Amino acid sequence: MTVLLIAVLIAAPVLADAPGVYAITGGTVHPVSGPEIANGVVIIRDGLVEAVGANVPIPADATTIDVKGGHVYPGLIDAQTSLGFPSAVPPRRGGAAAARQPQPPPTPLPETAASFIAMREIKLVSDDVESKRATGVTTIVAAPAFGIFNGQSVVLNLGEGDTPSRVVRDPAAQQISFNPRPAWTYPDSLMGVVAYIKQTLLDAQQYSAAHAIYDRNPSGYRRPEDNASLQALGPVLRREVPVVFVADSESMMRRAEAIAREFNVRYILSGVRQGYRFADELKANNIPVLVSVKWPIAPTNKDDREEQPLRIIRDRQLAPTTPAVLAKNGITFALVSGAGKTSDFIPGIRKAIDNGLSADDALRAVTIAPARILGVDRQLGSLEKGKIANVVVTDKPIFVKEAKVKRVFVDGRESKLPTEEERARRAEATSPVEGTWNLTVKTPQGDVSIIATLHLESGHLTGTFSGDAGSGDIRGGTVDGATVEFTISARTQAETSDWVFHGTLRDSTMDGTVSTTGGTFQFSGSKSR
Amino acid sequence: MKSLIAIVTFTVTTVAFAQNVTLIRDATILTVSHGKIEHGSILIRGTKIAAVGPNDQITAPADAQIVNASGKFVLPGIVDTHSHTAIEGSVNEISLPNTGMVRIRDVVNNEDIDAYRELAGGTTTALMLHGSANSIGGQSQIAKWKWGRPASEWIVEDAPRTIKFALGENPKSSNFRPPAGIPLQYPSTRMGVEEVIRKSFLDARDYMAKWDEYDARKKRGENPIPPRRDLLMEEMADILRGNVDVHSHCYRSDEIMMLLSLSDELGFKIRELQHVLEGYKVAREIAAHGVGGGTFIDWWGYKAEAYDAIPYNVALMERAGVLTSVNSDSDELARRLNLDAAKAMKYGGLTEEEALKLCTLNPATQLRLDKRIGSIDVGKDADLAIWNGHPFSTYSRVDTTFIEGQIYFDRQRDLRLRQELAKEKADRLKKEADEAAKEKKEKTPEDKND
Repeated sequence: MTVLLIAVLIAAPVLADAPGVYAITGGTVHPVSGPEIANGVVIIRDGLVEAVGANVPIPADATTIDVKGGHVYPGLIDAQTSLGFPSAVPPRRGGAAAARQPQPPPTPLPETAASFIAMREIKLVSDDVESKRATGVTTIVAAPAFGIFNGQSVVLNLGEGDTPSRVVRDPAAQQISFNPRPAWTYPDSLMGVVAYIKQTLLDAQQYSAAHAIYDRNPSGYRRPEDNASLQALGPVLRREVPVVFVADSESMMRRAEAIAREFNVRYILSGVRQGYRFADELKANNIPVLVSVKWPIAPTNKDDREEQPLRIIRDRQLAPTTPAVLAKNGITFALVSGAGKTSDFIPGIRKAIDNGLSADDALRAVTIAPARILGVDRQLGSLEKGKIANVVVTDKPIFVKEAKVKRVFVDGRESKLPTEEERARRAEATSPVEGTWNLTVKTPQGDVSIIATLHLESGHLTGTFSGDAGSGDIRGGTVDGATVEFTISARTQAETSDWVFHGTLRDSTMDGTVSTTGGTFQFSGSKSR
Repeated sequence: MKSLIAIVTFTVTTVAFAQNVTLIRDATILTVSHGKIEHGSILIRGTKIAAVGPNDQITAPADAQIVNASGKFVLPGIVDTHSHTAIEGSVNEISLPNTGMVRIRDVVNNEDIDAYRELAGGTTTALMLHGSANSIGGQSQIAKWKWGRPASEWIVEDAPRTIKFALGENPKSSNFRPPAGIPLQYPSTRMGVEEVIRKSFLDARDYMAKWDEYDARKKRGENPIPPRRDLLMEEMADILRGNVDVHSHCYRSDEIMMLLSLSDELGFKIRELQHVLEGYKVAREIAAHGVGGGTFIDWWGYKAEAYDAIPYNVALMERAGVLTSVNSDSDELARRLNLDAAKAMKYGGLTEEEALKLCTLNPATQLRLDKRIGSIDVGKDADLAIWNGHPFSTYSRVDTTFIEGQIYFDRQRDLRLRQELAKEKADRLKKEADEAAKEKKEKTPEDKND
C-alpha cells in the first residue's frame, strides 16, 4: 500500500507551458474556507479554481491527477520576506570634500527609499524559488530588509516566468524598519530613527500640501520641487497603502503604534515576537500582525546560557507561544518567515504548534489570514471557485514533521520542485562565513569575547551573538567576496551601542575592525568545529 | 556573582496597587525642607504626602497600611539630574553636530535592570540625558523609575521639556574618532562648538520668521504654500521661546564663560551646567546668571579637561550662590548619590541639611519640579525611601522605596523573589537542555541510516 502510494505521488509532474485543465482527485482537500473534504476533488481551469468538493464531476477535457492518500492545500503565503533582494551596505555620508565642513541639517533626507519599488528591482533566482516552493509557499510578499524606509513591497506568485507575470498586487505596502545606520551616518541611533521617520512623514505631508495648492493654481507660486520618495508616501498618508512596521519587541511595537497614530496611517505590525505580552493592545486597537517564526534561539554554549538573565531566557521560551495567544484573543495574524531562512519556515510554524497553536489556526495564518491582511483574499488564501489556482499537495498533513511537498501548482500550472539531489546539494553548499565564530575584540578596557553564529541566505547574513557584550540578533549583515560586515547591539557596563564589524575571511579565521561610538578596535577569531 | 546578578533581573514586576493609604510610623524623618523629625510619622494618601509630623500628631484611618519604621530613617527619593539609565539603543545620535530633533522619550527602556538597582539605592527620579558627542544633543526626558510599569508611565508628563548641550572635548571629537574612511566631524575646536550653537539659533530665528510670514499671509486671506516643518528647528525655536530648559555638559571655566555670554547674546536660558568641574573658578558668574550646577564630588583626572577638578567644587559653588547638586552620569554611582552628598560635609563644610539637599531638593529645583518632589512636605509626591540607618553612613541601606505612594523596591520582597526567580531560571534552563537532548537523540539514528 505504502509503496503504491509513493509511486502515485511522485509521478512525473505535468509541466506544461499553458495553464490547462486538471482534476486533482483522491486526496484530503483542505480548502481553508470550509471543513476538510475526504477524497475530495479540485478542478483547475485556465489558472483558476473551477470547483472544489466531494462529488464534483470530472470535466472531459481534464487531466486527472490522482493523489490518493495525500493532502491538498491552497498554496501557502509568506507575507514578509526579503527573498530576491541582496542586502546592501548603506552608502556612507560624505567624501573627502565633506571633511571638516559643517554638515547641513538632515535635509534633503538622505537615502530615503520610500520610492523604491520592489517589483522593479526584485531578482528571484530559480534555485531560491524552487526551495521556497518545496516548503509549500506559492506566494510571497517581498521587500528589501535594508534601510529605514524599505520601500514598496509586492505580492508575487512563485510560478515560472518573469516578474511582471508573477505580480498579484503592487504595491502591497510601504515597509518601515527601525534600523539605525552605521555610526556617524544620520540616523545612527534608535531615537534618531524615530525622529527620521517622523520628519520624513512630515515632509511628505508638506509635499502633498504644496503640490495640492500649486496644482490648483500655479500662477504666483514658486514651483515646488519634485521628490519621488515624498510622492511615494502620498498614498500612505491618504490611507490607500498600509505601512508594515517591522517591530519585534513590545517597545518597538509601541513606537510603531505611536508614529502610526500621529500620522493617521493604516498599519500592520510585522515581527511581533513579543506579541504574547502585547495581545490586549493588539486586540483593543484591531491591529493586524505578521508574526515572524524566526524564534529566538539559545546560545549553543552552556555557560553562555546560564549567564543570561532570566528575562532573556523567559522571553525566548514564551515568544513561540505568541501565535497561540493571538489566536485565543481572536487577533488577525499571519505567520511569516521574516528575516529567517526558507528552510526554517515550516519548522518555525511547527514550533508555534508545539506551543499551543492548533494546526487549523496555523494553516489559516499562512493562507487566508495573510491574504486578508494584504487585501488579496478575493484571489488567494483558500481553495474556492474563482480564486487563483495555487495548490500544494503533500504526502502527510502539511505541518507534520515528516511531511513532504509532492506537487505544486502556481497560477494553474504545475511547477518544478527540487529533486532530492538538488535539495541535498543546496543544503551542503554553505558559505565559509556560515558557522559559529569565537571572536575577540581588543578594547582599551580589555578583551571582549563574542560568540557569533552566522547564516547566509540569498546574500543576507543573519544570526545571533552572545558573550561579554550581551546577546541578540546580528543585523545589517553582508558578505562580499572575503569581506564580511555586520552589526550587533553591544551591551557594555555603561550602555548599549552599535558595534559594526568589518572583517576579512581567511578560510576558518576572520579579522578586522569594530567601529563603535567609543572608538575603533581590532578583532579576530576563528570558526569553532 | 554573575548568576546572582542574573537572578535579580526580573525581581519586581508587580506592585501591590491596592493600598491607598499608608502610614510610615516612628521614623527619623529627614524632611530636607524643614529639618529632622525624630519619632515622626508620614501619612500617604494615594500618590501624595497627606501629613507629616511627630507620631502623636499624625493619625491614620483604620484601613491604612502601617509600616513600622522604628529606628529607621526616611529620606525623600533621590533625584539624579545626569542619568543615561534606561535608554534603548545608542545614548548618542552621533552623526551630526546638532541632533536636537531626537528625543529620549522615544527610547525609554523600562526593562533596564539598572533602574531597579537605582531604586534599591533610594533614587526615584532622573533626568535622562542624551550623550555628549555633539554640541547640541537630543531632547532629554525627566522620568521616575516605576519598575514593572509601562515606559509611558515612567515619563513625568507635566515636567519641563529639556535639551542636552555639550562643550569641550567630546563634541570636538577629542576622545573618540570615527573609523577610517569616515571624515572627522565638524567641529574640532571649542571655537567650532560655539559656532555650531550660535548658527543653530540664528537658523531658528530665520525659521520662526518664515512661519510668521506664512501665518500673516494666511491671516490676510492668501493661500500660501506652507513652509517645511523641521523638527530640529522647532526645538531650537522653542528654546528661544523659553519653553525648553538647557542642561549643558561642560568642564573648563573658559567654555563655561563662553556659554553664559552666548546665552546673553542669543537670549536663551541655561538651567543647569552639568559636570562643571571648574565651576568654582567662575561660581559668581554662574550664580549671577541664575544657572545651577550638577557635579561630581571626587571624580577627576579622567581626561585633560578634568584635571583642575577639586572636591571643594560643590561647597564653593553652593557658597557662591549657585544652586548645586551631585549627580551620577553612571548607572553605578546613581545607586549611592547619598554618599557623594555626604562627602560635601567633609570637603567644604556644608551642614547636614545642605548636604542632604544636594541629592534631593536641589536637583528637584534644577528640574523645576521642587513643588512636587525633593522634600518631605504635605502635598508633594510620596517619593520616599526608608533607610535602615542614616543615609550618610556607608553602612546604611534602603529597605523600601516608594514612588507616588506605591512600593517599587522592598528588600524583603526582593530576597524572597530571588529564590523564586532562581528556581524559575533553573527550571527553564533544564527544559531547554532536555529539549536539546531529545532533538539530538531523534536526529542521531537518522544520520546513521544516511
